[in-house]
Amino acid sequence: MKILIADDSKVMRQIVLRTLRQAGFGHHDYLEAVDGAEALDKVAAEAPDLVLSDWNMPNKTGIELLRALRGNGNAVPFGFITSEGSEEMRAAAKSAGAMFLIAKPFTAEHFEAELAGMLS
Amino acid sequence: MTIASAPDQALVLAAIEQVWGSMLFATADPWPTERPAEFETGLQAQIELRGEWNGRLVLTCDAGVANQIANAMLGLGPEDELDEPDVHDAVGEVLNVVGGSVKGALPGTSALGLPGVSEVTEVPSRDESFVVSWGDAPVYVQIVPDAA
Repeated sequence: MKILIADDSKVMRQIVLRTLRQAGFGHHDYLEAVDGAEALDKVAAEAPDLVLSDWNMPNKTGIELLRALRGNGNAVPFGFITSEGSEEMRAAAKSAGAMFLIAKPFTAEHFEAELAGMLS
Repeated sequence: MTIASAPDQALVLAAIEQVWGSMLFATADPWPTERPAEFETGLQAQIELRGEWNGRLVLTCDAGVANQIANAMLGLGPEDELDEPDVHDAVGEVLNVVGGSVKGALPGTSALGLPGVSEVTEVPSRDESFVVSWGDAPVYVQIVPDAA
């Protein structure tokens, strides 16, 4: 599977990737995007099977990215990995069509719990 | 403005302890009041909170400590040298996760900004900050409300 990681922090993209490998998902192909706008372009160009996105990003936030995707009729599976995990944000994420929201700091177990059904 | 929704030291310290433990695999103990906490040059990360309380969280540490924090986040050895942008990125992201945790614990907080990181040569005043430990080094934390 092809998985797009969108986060404006390069360090955090590396940590997400490392944690995905620790969770046993290292055999997939990974792409990166530095913000929501680049993620939107990469979804169109690369057609990933899953998008893992930060919420707070410059140019286009994660929720704006998700709404733009769904507005374009793109139903790519989408999950948030973000520093905020309030009930309001979880509700907004779900209502916009996200599968899950993993709050930072996270562990490999969090990734396994949310992604095992799809990526194993 | 509702004063009850302002972040206090205990809340921010709890968030830092959580992040130190889970992301950096370290403990964040309070720094003894009588112990000097100085450095030559360092990094300062800031992030804004918006809502019923408006202000920013500020984290300041020695440049060597910043490098160690970045290495810990990336699972590298403490002496590995990282590029400056990656160190800035890592310290900003640490504060971003602390800010997210504080925001989640504060009713009435509607927005968290993006972290900004700059170089500094002076430590914050001990009167205007509290200090936590990174190993044997100090990390200054400030809770700064917007000017009235």
